[in-house]
Amino acid sequence: MGKSRKDAVLVLGIGNLLMGDEGVGIHAVRRLECSALPPRTEVLDGGTGGFHLLSCFREYGRIILVDAALDGRPPGTVTVLRPRFASDFPRALSAHDVGLRDLVESASLLGPLPEIVLVTVSIAQAQSMCTELSPAVASSLPRVSAAVLSLLEGRGSPICPAGSAGGSGSRCSRRVTGNRRSASRRGGSPRRN
Amino acid sequence: MASRIVIDPVTRIEGHLRVEIEVRDGAVVDAYSSGTMVRGLEIILKGRDPRDAWVFAQRTCGVCTTVHALASVRTVEDALGIAVPPNAELIRNLMMCAQYMQDHVVHFYHLHALDWVDILGAVKADPQSASALAQKISDWPLSSAAYFAGIRKRLQTFIDSGQLGIFANGYWGHQAYRLPPEANLLFAAHYLEALAWQKEVVKIHSIFGGKNPHPDYLVGGVPCAINLDEANCLNAQRLAYVGTLLDEARNFVERVYLPDVLALASYYKEWCGFGGGLSNYMAYGDLPVRGYGDPSGFRFPRGIVLERNLGELLPIDGRDAAQVQEQVARSWYRYSDGDEGSRHPWEGQTELAYTGPNPPYEHLDVAGKYSWIKTPRWKGRPMEVGPLARILVAYAAGSTDVREAVHEALQRLGLPLESLYSTIGRTLARALETRLIARWAQEFYRDLRDNIARGDVSTFNGARWDPATWPPEARGVGMSEAPRGALAHWIVIRDQKIANYQLVVPSTWNASPRDSRGQMSAYEAALIGTPVADPEKPLEVLRTIHSFDPCIACAVHLYDERGRSLHRCTIM
Repeated sequence: MGKSRKDAVLVLGIGNLLMGDEGVGIHAVRRLECSALPPRTEVLDGGTGGFHLLSCFREYGRIILVDAALDGRPPGTVTVLRPRFASDFPRALSAHDVGLRDLVESASLLGPLPEIVLVTVSIAQAQSMCTELSPAVASSLPRVSAAVLSLLEGRGSPICPAGSAGGSGSRCSRRVTGNRRSASRRGGSPRRN
Repeated sequence: MASRIVIDPVTRIEGHLRVEIEVRDGAVVDAYSSGTMVRGLEIILKGRDPRDAWVFAQRTCGVCTTVHALASVRTVEDALGIAVPPNAELIRNLMMCAQYMQDHVVHFYHLHALDWVDILGAVKADPQSASALAQKISDWPLSSAAYFAGIRKRLQTFIDSGQLGIFANGYWGHQAYRLPPEANLLFAAHYLEALAWQKEVVKIHSIFGGKNPHPDYLVGGVPCAINLDEANCLNAQRLAYVGTLLDEARNFVERVYLPDVLALASYYKEWCGFGGGLSNYMAYGDLPVRGYGDPSGFRFPRGIVLERNLGELLPIDGRDAAQVQEQVARSWYRYSDGDEGSRHPWEGQTELAYTGPNPPYEHLDVAGKYSWIKTPRWKGRPMEVGPLARILVAYAAGSTDVREAVHEALQRLGLPLESLYSTIGRTLARALETRLIARWAQEFYRDLRDNIARGDVSTFNGARWDPATWPPEARGVGMSEAPRGALAHWIVIRDQKIANYQLVVPSTWNASPRDSRGQMSAYEAALIGTPVADPEKPLEVLRTIHSFDPCIACAVHLYDERGRSLHRCTIM
């Protein structure tokens, strides 16, 4: 209960397991739990936890969030980014949910945020009353695992090489799709602060 | 000419509510409250094992978690003649108290406060003035000028980012906001503190019931074994932690929440003149001290006040077919013997019959049926339920705790008793009962510890667990006071399965449409006369609606996945 987690990394999956592809974040972390993970890594199924998850943002020094995103990209596209603005987070899918964006904004009001990396899987829609993933989204799970493991092993930011200003507020992202781009930055990325 | 305003969805509530109002000469002259969703829990429960009912029923709502589980187990226990052991009563009370404290605090700060507090006005405040105000109203230690300067800076950074996030779409700058800047900053700071605090007290649910939301309950008792020395039971360490959590909760309630509500009331005294609505108040009562079978020992007494007559308290009998009844005259249901009728819940029917417009639509047919909420009545009369009803019923019952709390608060504010019949009165009642509950919870805790010290560790009565011990048919009613008001379930058990199950929840009483005689329920009645300075920003309407703490419970969503609204707010 009192152990410091500031030097640990939390892999936090968010989503609704009952809403088909919307639950991909949960499927992803369950898969990761079965993998060999570096020390000081914890994995949490955050479900639709909402404000219950606020304490995670205070306790951990680094969080890797995994969630579905309705971003118009082909379903199954895996995107890794360091969010800079609230708009970088997926919005809630219903008027009732406390979405990731609300959660992060609330956490930012309560105190300094940990380092956050966001791994999203693009989906076309949420399916009601369904615990299965669509084939395109299901096929992304190995790539999600690979992306998260590479983040954990490198322990560094996946984006914005040293010296890059990142553009005028644009977010830096590395898209991991079926056609992989150059992997030159893997594992060698300089740590950001 | 009257203008018709639609507020849909009403935000900062639980569930899906639509309000249509007619405004003339700057005030509400007519109002229609519509529950825009249905799930059919009563249909889902049919045919199931009564011992499982609480699991399904509790899923009615995750915000007011525990309340339906409690009503459900009491309903089945009533039907089967089961008395639960004293420790189980105490643990149920503690879980309920924890729920109240979290629920009411969250409601005030995160759902209601922004109707009164202009968050954008907070950044204009002088931290020194905020500090002086804080120290005037309470001895809560987080009150230095440096502290408030830090809060102001965080808010400013948030606002400067250009995206208001959780504060988006507010009516900031509305003329009806009356707080000086330092009060805005004080409340903003406490909004954030409450956000951090609220997850603590519900750990009590996890200790007794395994998790929150939706801790476990049990027909016949509570599903926690007590053994002070065992690792996997309710042991000394966990019991001590409950005590700590209760102390912290009482601390927050007494030194932050209640002083803030009193301060708010002092700035908004004119709102003691709006939002009263109905004159009848009903409480089933709860928090037994001598067992659920003895309502005379309830901390919240049971009874009815009619026509605001606090000199007389009328009794309630949930089994009496002539008392509690439900109507569907203006609700989207069909009764087999005609929709103008009234049915006691044991004869209740839930046949969905939607006759409303297909979305997208401009207006509901408010001359006909316009809601998924049935209309309950007690002997044909509409009732307000909730904190105000509980306080008034307790007052009428002569409860010294309650009378003292009411008198002290009103004296401090310089307000008469009649001021309770209002939006501010309802808000104040909620805070007053929370403070009482914080104290009562510590007494229940002490009683539990005393029992255990005497060697009583029983938490379950299994005498009627086996269906072979049940009669072929049994009827039960289980009553409770949820944070939002009087809650009851009715069950008919036949051949060991649920033959009929009806839930009549607080927001059924308060948010329902008119009855067959055209009488309004609480929300609609309370809105009449509410000022509306700007029809495009009906902030004043929200103040009163939120004072009821609506809990409609979610099902159908009003937005599609991309946030496109399926209904539009329009003004005729």
